[in-house]
Amino acid sequence: MSEWALHVEGLTKWYGSTLACRDVGFTVAAGEAIGIIGESGSGKSTALRCIAGDVRASSGRVLLQKEGGAIDLLELSDAERRGLRVDTLSIVFQDPSEGLDLRVTAGGNIAERLTAAGWRNFSAIRSRARDLLDRVDVPIDRMDDLVETFSGGMRQRVQLAKAVANEPSLLLLDEPTTGLDASVAAGVLDLIRSLLETTRVTAVVVSHDMSVISMLTSRAIVMHQGHVVEAGLTDQLFEDPQHAYTQQLVSAARG
Amino acid sequence: MEQSNLSSREPVLEVRDLRKDFTIHVIGRHVEALNGVNLTVGAGEHVALIGQSGAGKSTLLRCVWRSYRPTSGHVWLRQRDGAQIDLATADDREVADIRRQQIGYVGQFLRAEPRRSVLEVVARAGIRRGAHEDDATDQAVTALREVAIGEDLWGTSPVVLSGGEQQRINLAAGTLYPPHLLLLDEPVASLDAGNRQRVLERIGHLARDGVAVLSVFHDLEAVRQLATRVVALCDGNVVADGAPNEVLELVAS
Repeated sequence: MSEWALHVEGLTKWYGSTLACRDVGFTVAAGEAIGIIGESGSGKSTALRCIAGDVRASSGRVLLQKEGGAIDLLELSDAERRGLRVDTLSIVFQDPSEGLDLRVTAGGNIAERLTAAGWRNFSAIRSRARDLLDRVDVPIDRMDDLVETFSGGMRQRVQLAKAVANEPSLLLLDEPTTGLDASVAAGVLDLIRSLLETTRVTAVVVSHDMSVISMLTSRAIVMHQGHVVEAGLTDQLFEDPQHAYTQQLVSAARG
Repeated sequence: MEQSNLSSREPVLEVRDLRKDFTIHVIGRHVEALNGVNLTVGAGEHVALIGQSGAGKSTLLRCVWRSYRPTSGHVWLRQRDGAQIDLATADDREVADIRRQQIGYVGQFLRAEPRRSVLEVVARAGIRRGAHEDDATDQAVTALREVAIGEDLWGTSPVVLSGGEQQRINLAAGTLYPPHLLLLDEPVASLDAGNRQRVLERIGHLARDGVAVLSVFHDLEAVRQLATRVVALCDGNVVADGAPNEVLELVAS
C-alpha cells in the first residue's frame, strides 16, 4: 500500500459546550484525494479548518509526512504554522475573498505568495504568475486587473492559482465550487480535477455536493452532526451506502 | 510437479462463501442478494455468469469490484506479484490502489468526464495504470480503432455521443493496458451486430493473452462465443458451474 501523507486522528472541536466535530479520523496516501461529505452544520468545514490550523482543535492529532519525518500540525507554534501555509499546506475557500485580497491584482495576489516563499526576482515572479494564471485559464491580459473586477468563477481560478503557486504537498478545498453557476462550477471542478491529476498533491475536499466528491475523490468519509458515520470508496458510498444517514443523503442527491 | 507450475495454476480470483445483504434503513427492508457464492477465475479464463434478472449476477460483480461491500465471505485476488489479498475485507485505500492498477470494470454506461475528449478519456485510463502519456495515447488510438470509433470523434467529448459509441469508448478505456482481472457488466448491451462483434473480439483477445475475465452478458450468443466456463446463479446461489455447452443446456432444459 502506498505511503500515507496525512493522518488525522481523534480530531475534536468544542465551542464552549457545543460540539462541532468529534473523533474525526482518516488517512490519505501521497497524491490521493479524499472527500468529506455532509450537510451544513455537520462539522466538515470545522474539521478542515482545524487541519489547516485556522481553528484551534480541542484535541486530536494531524500528522503530516514531511522530509525528515512526520509532524503534528496541532503542535506547531503560530510562526511555524504560518511558514507551513506558505509552501506546504494551502487551503481554497468557498469565498474567494478569504483566500485572496480582492483589492490587489491577480498577479499581485500570486506574487505575494511567491515572495512569502522567498522569491525576489521581479521578472521571475511575473513569469511564474503568468504561467500559473495561464494554467487556470485566466486570460493573461487580466493579470494586472484588480481581483474585485473579476467574476466569481474567475476569482476562484485565481484563488486556485495562488494556492498551488508554491507547489504545496497538501491542498485543502472547502466547498470550492459552491455558489457558482452550474456551468462555471463545472469548469472550476474540471480545473481542480486536472490539478489533482497532474501534480502529486495530496488533497482533502469538503463538499455537501456528492457529485463534486464523486468527481474528485476515490475515497470519502460521511459526516453527520459532528461525527463520521461512514467511510468508504466513493462509488461504494453511492451504490451501497451502509449507514441510514448516508442512504438518506444518496437518495436525496438522486432526487 | 514444479512449484512454479503449482502457483501459476492458482486462480486469479477466488470467491468463497460470499454473502451480500442489503438493509434499507428508511423503509426497514432487508434483502439477501447473495447466499454464499463460491467460484474461481483463472488467468486466461473467461467465466460468464448467467441467470435471470435478480439472480445476483451484477451484485456479485460489484462485490468483487467493491462498489458493494460484501456482508461476509472472501474475495481472494492473487495479484500480479503473486500476493493474495481478500478484497472483501481489505482496507479501502488498498482496494483503491489495486483497482487502479490491476482490475478493469466495464459497466453498461460510460462515466464520462465532462470536457475531456474521447482520446483523453481512453488514454487517461492507461495513465492511471501507470503508463507514460505518449505511450498511453498510442495505445488509446489502437483501442479506439479496434472498436471502430472514427478519428473524427476523438476530439469531441463522449458526453455528446450515442449510447453505443459511449459503450465502445468505455470498453476501450477499461481494457487499455489489459488489467489482471476484467469485470464486464453487459458491455455490449446497446451495440449493433457489427460493433458488437468487434467488441467481443477485443474481449476474446484479452482472455487469450492471460487476463482473467468475469462477465455478465444479456445475450447467450456472446456467452457461447467467449466463455471458457459458465456459472449459473439463481436467487443468490450458484446452481451450476461447468463447461459452457453443458451449463447452457442444463439451464435451457
